[in-house]
Order: sequence, then structure tokens, then C-alpha cells
Amino acid sequence: MLQIENLHVCVENQPILNDLNLEVNAGQVHAIMGPNGSGKSTLAQVLAGRDDYKVTQGNITFCGQNLLEMQPEERAHLGLFLAFQYPTEIPGVNNAYLLKAALNAQRTARNEQEVDAFEFMNLIKNKMKMMQIPEAFLNRSVNEGFSGGEKKRNEILQMLTLEPSLAILDETDSGLDVDALRIVADGVNNLRSPERSLILVTHYERLLELVVPDFVHVLAGGKIVKSGDRDLARYLDEHGYDWVQTEVSA
Amino acid sequence: MNTKILRKEFESRMAQLPSQGKDHEFRQKAMDAFYDSGFPSRQWETWKYTDLKPIASKEFQLIPKESTDGAHETASKLLTTCDLEAGPSRFIFLGGHHIPELSSEITTTGLHLSMFGYPSPENRSAFSEHSSKNFKEHPLAALNAAFSTQGVRIQVAEKTNIDTAIHLVFLDSNLENQTSQPRILIDLKAESKITIVQHFLGSNLNSGWTNSVTEISQAPGSDLTLYQFQEHGTEHFHTGLLSSSLASDASIKLGFIDLGGRLTRNDVHVNLDGAGAKTELFGIFLATDGQHIDNHTRIDHRAPETKSIETFRGIVGDRGRGVFNGKVVVHPDAQKVDAQQSNDNLLLSEKAEIDTKPELEIYADEVKCSHGATVGDLDTEQLFYMKSRGIKESDAREILIFAFANEILKLIELPQLRERVAHRTAHHLPGHDRLGVEL
Repeated sequence: MLQIENLHVCVENQPILNDLNLEVNAGQVHAIMGPNGSGKSTLAQVLAGRDDYKVTQGNITFCGQNLLEMQPEERAHLGLFLAFQYPTEIPGVNNAYLLKAALNAQRTARNEQEVDAFEFMNLIKNKMKMMQIPEAFLNRSVNEGFSGGEKKRNEILQMLTLEPSLAILDETDSGLDVDALRIVADGVNNLRSPERSLILVTHYERLLELVVPDFVHVLAGGKIVKSGDRDLARYLDEHGYDWVQTEVSA
Repeated sequence: MNTKILRKEFESRMAQLPSQGKDHEFRQKAMDAFYDSGFPSRQWETWKYTDLKPIASKEFQLIPKESTDGAHETASKLLTTCDLEAGPSRFIFLGGHHIPELSSEITTTGLHLSMFGYPSPENRSAFSEHSSKNFKEHPLAALNAAFSTQGVRIQVAEKTNIDTAIHLVFLDSNLENQTSQPRILIDLKAESKITIVQHFLGSNLNSGWTNSVTEISQAPGSDLTLYQFQEHGTEHFHTGLLSSSLASDASIKLGFIDLGGRLTRNDVHVNLDGAGAKTELFGIFLATDGQHIDNHTRIDHRAPETKSIETFRGIVGDRGRGVFNGKVVVHPDAQKVDAQQSNDNLLLSEKAEIDTKPELEIYADEVKCSHGATVGDLDTEQLFYMKSRGIKESDAREILIFAFANEILKLIELPQLRERVAHRTAHHLPGHDRLGVEL
């Protein structure tokens, strides 16, 4: 589904990712862990198509297509979704309006019939319940005045509604209390299927106890320095990241 | 319009009026004031960014012709395009002339509404004792006083709450080069309350000029909401002065929505004369394709514990130009004043221009004042977020532009008006049909 080869990325002329390689197949859940500043979020943003992050070398193929040549919206139409670490506030645009516009934009791009307001409400009703988002949230401006946990739950609601084939969750677990973490994890697990893939970018292991990954990668100094299964995440949780960096430089 | 033509026109105007009386003297005084100053030029500090030459150099008919055959049908047709005013309290003017056939009759207790002007059967005065105060600073208000054809006087009796909004609709003339100089006098007695909409509407390509004056006098504890919604035809010029004075604990909410016209200049002056008086002043304008829209506001805090909140937003694209000048003066004895002002602008093209100038003059020491002005393009983070959800760039931009305007439109308390304005605002965005409008 996703192949990243030899990826080099600069942000404001600073190299952040260096020779990053990753392959994600359909149905797999990959966790990307690493210390602060290792380039985790940069990778997430580059995949979504942020244009101020400059790809200086390498290839990314998504569903057989050259991802780097696509606009962010085209990536979304092809089934890529990024749950933002810091979801953007958009005063004046109502939450339901944005989600419906996004869903219909994707449906139109895929030659599917648009949904009307009634169908839309039916479609999201259960998903809202699952994410414990009250209906009043739909009429509020996107993310404006939302608490940290509400913003993250709203991202997952969007994900559940848009049903992407590849979802990248950028530190969706940070800043969540135990209950909110469980709600988010339930939402993510609900989306898991043999056709869908997930990349969980996280600093902590606790989300991975609830959404069990098939692979765990450690990102340090802009590249993946170690890969393993969920036990690697547990080990990192216990021993921190220092040993990885020591091992790499050794 | 050179002085020779002006004099001739004024003499014919005066010849049509009763030769004696206060109004006669008043009009003469107004005209003399205008002769002294002429049209304001860009040398005037308050007219630095707005050039009136396009108006001054045109041969506008200062005494507008009566509407011709078929005009009423044209007016009716125009009105059906917006069912906004189809309520029980609408008053229709076409090219400066009142059309009783299309207007309502007022029978509400405590509300006195009368038309004045020539020919005025009841011979009501078109002026208040405050009218001449503005002549020196606002020559166009003087010109309005000298030539004004017709207008409305609205009076609300003490402790009367009028719960239906009054709609005054001024339709652009269907004739070329006409002026319309309406006068609206609003007088609210103590603890009365009313909502008024001044709607300027046109759909033709005729060149024309509307020069309006609204004078408001509010007794203690009275409450006025007034919206001015300007959607003139694309070749229409609009200038207007709204001045108000508020006694203690009176409040005024003023909303200015400018979507049409070639050149628009709104002068707004609020005097918070009595302790505890307050104003909420807001505006939104959209200037594209060579349109010029200028909002000049001034709020005088002349008494203690007066409050003002002012919020203006502008959207300029293509070769559009927007001007905002917001002056707030806190006078020496006006302690415990709260004055907030903000002006935010979206500049959507390199050929567009915005000039914004907040001015604060504070002569009291115990005050809370804030002001801020911004000019910028759309937020790239917001655009990226929407695109990452699958919304294409051009749609995302339109949604954000509309959202920017919508933050102001939300302040309109009349649902029908709010919807109409939202719809019209969205209409200026190419993708509006597909995107839909949601408040």
C-alpha cells in the first residue's frame, strides 16, 4: 500500500529525515516511535502533503501512485488521512459543514453520489456516539474552543466518517487521559480491517497496549534505526530511547 | 457638477418649495455651507484615501426625475427578488421618491412614522435642531439638506417596544444619472425600543448617486438596532452620514453591510453623551473588481461608564479597495470607559488594496481601551487542514472567505436579513451553489 524509499526531507533548510525507508502493506498497523525531534511528525506531515516541507531525495508510492506529485486533497481522495497532532481551529466554519464537504468532495472524486444532509446525519450518528461527541459539537466552529481531548476525538470522528485506506495518527494519544485514550483506541480499532492500514506516530507505549501494532519502528536522527514487534515498544517504555541512540552511534 | 450648475439647480429646487419658513432658511444655510467647502478633496485628512472626483465630475441630476411609466413594475420586480421586506412594515422609495402603493401603512400604537419632503402635504420639517451641526465637517450632509427630496421621520413613544422591524428600502432609479438624497430622522423617547433596516438595492447598470443622511436622537434608556445593507447596482455611488446622540443608558447597535456599488463611503458618528450609554458597531464589506468601499467611524465617549465595541471586517479581491478609519475619543470627564475596536481584513489579490487606521484619543485616566487591525491572506494552516480532508484548494478558499464574513454576519439579529446577507455574500464567491451556505 505504501512504500517509502530513501526519503530525505528538509524543513527551513534543516535536514530532518535522512534515508528513511518503510513499507506498509494492507491490513497492517505500524507504530513509529522515537524521541522528540527525531522527525516523526515531519514524516506524518510529508505524507499528508504539506508544501513547506521539502523532499530533497527519495520516493513515496501510495496505492501504486507517486504520492509526492499529488496535492493534499488528491492524496485524501486516494484514501490517505492524517489525524493532526494539533488540529487546526477554523472559526466560522461549522464542524458538520466541513465534514460533510470533505466527505462529498471525496465521494465526487471517486465518482460516487454525494450524500445529503439527512444521509450524512444517519452516517455519523453512531460514530459520534462511539467517540462520545455530543450533537451540539456539530454546530460549533471546527476545533474552536475544543479541549485537547475533544480535538483528538473529533479527528477520529473525521477518520471514521471518511474511512481512509491509510490513516496516519500523529501523536493522537498525547494529552489524553485514560478514558479519552480508550475512546480514541476503540475508534481506531473499529476502523481496522484487512484492507486498511494504520501508522501510529507516538512517543509513548500506552496507546499500543490498546491498539496493538504489527510492527514497531524506532525513528532517530531522521531514519528508522530499529524495527521489531510490540515487545520493542514495551522495552522502550521501560528503558527509554537512550540505548537506541547509543547502539546506533556505536 | 460645477458651482454654476449647482447654483442653478438649487434655485430651481428652492422655487419648488414654499418660499417662507424654517426649512427654507435651513436649506439656504446648508447650501451656503456647501458653497464654502465644495466637495471634500483628498487634501482633507478624512478623505485621504477616497477620491470623490468620479462623483463631482459627473453631471448628476440633483433634482431627480419622477419615475417614469413602468417604474413601479420595475420596483415591484426588484422587490420580489428579495422577500426580505415583505413584512407589514416596509417603505419603498424609488430613485429618491416614496412609492405609497408599495409601502405599508403604520397603525402601531406608539410608533409615529411620517414622510416629508416636496410636496409635503403636512409640511413637516425635514430637519432637527441637530441637523446643521454636521455641515462644516460633512459637506455632503449639507448638500443632502439643501436638495433632499424625501425622507422619513420615525418617532417611538416613551416605554414603547416595537417588535416588528421597520424596513426602509431605497431602490436605485431606473433612469440614468439620478441622485437620491434620503433623510432619515429617528427619534426614540425614553425607554423605547425599535429595529430599523435601511436597505439600498439596485440591479441595473445605470450610473447614479445616493447621498443619505440618518440622524438619530435617543432619550435615556432607549434601545435602537439599525442595519444598513448596501447592495446598489455596480455603477452606483453611495455616500452617507449617520450621526447619533445617546442620552444616559441608551444603547445603539449599528451594522453596516456593503456588497454593491462602485464607490461607497459611510461616515458614522456615535455620540455617547449620557452616562452608561453604549454602542455596538460592526460592519462587513466585500470589494472586488474595482469597487471602492470606505468606512469612516467616530465614537465620542463624552460621559462616564460609556461603552463601545467596534468590529469591522473587509474582504478585497481583484482590483478592489477598502478603507477603514476608526476614531475613538474619550473625553476628559469620561471615566470608567470601555472601548474596544478591531478591524480585520482579507487581502485576496496583489492588485487589491486596504488602508486601515485606528485612532484613539484618550483624555481621561481611568479607561479600558483596546484596538487592533490586521491585513492578511487566508491562513495557510487552515487551508492545509481542509485540503488534507479532501476539499480542493479553490473550495477551501471560498469556505474560509465566507467563514471570515460569517463571523460578522452572526451579529445580525434578524434571521431573514442574516440569511439574505449570507446568501448575497456567498453569491460573490464562484463556487457558492455547490458549497451551500450554512450559518
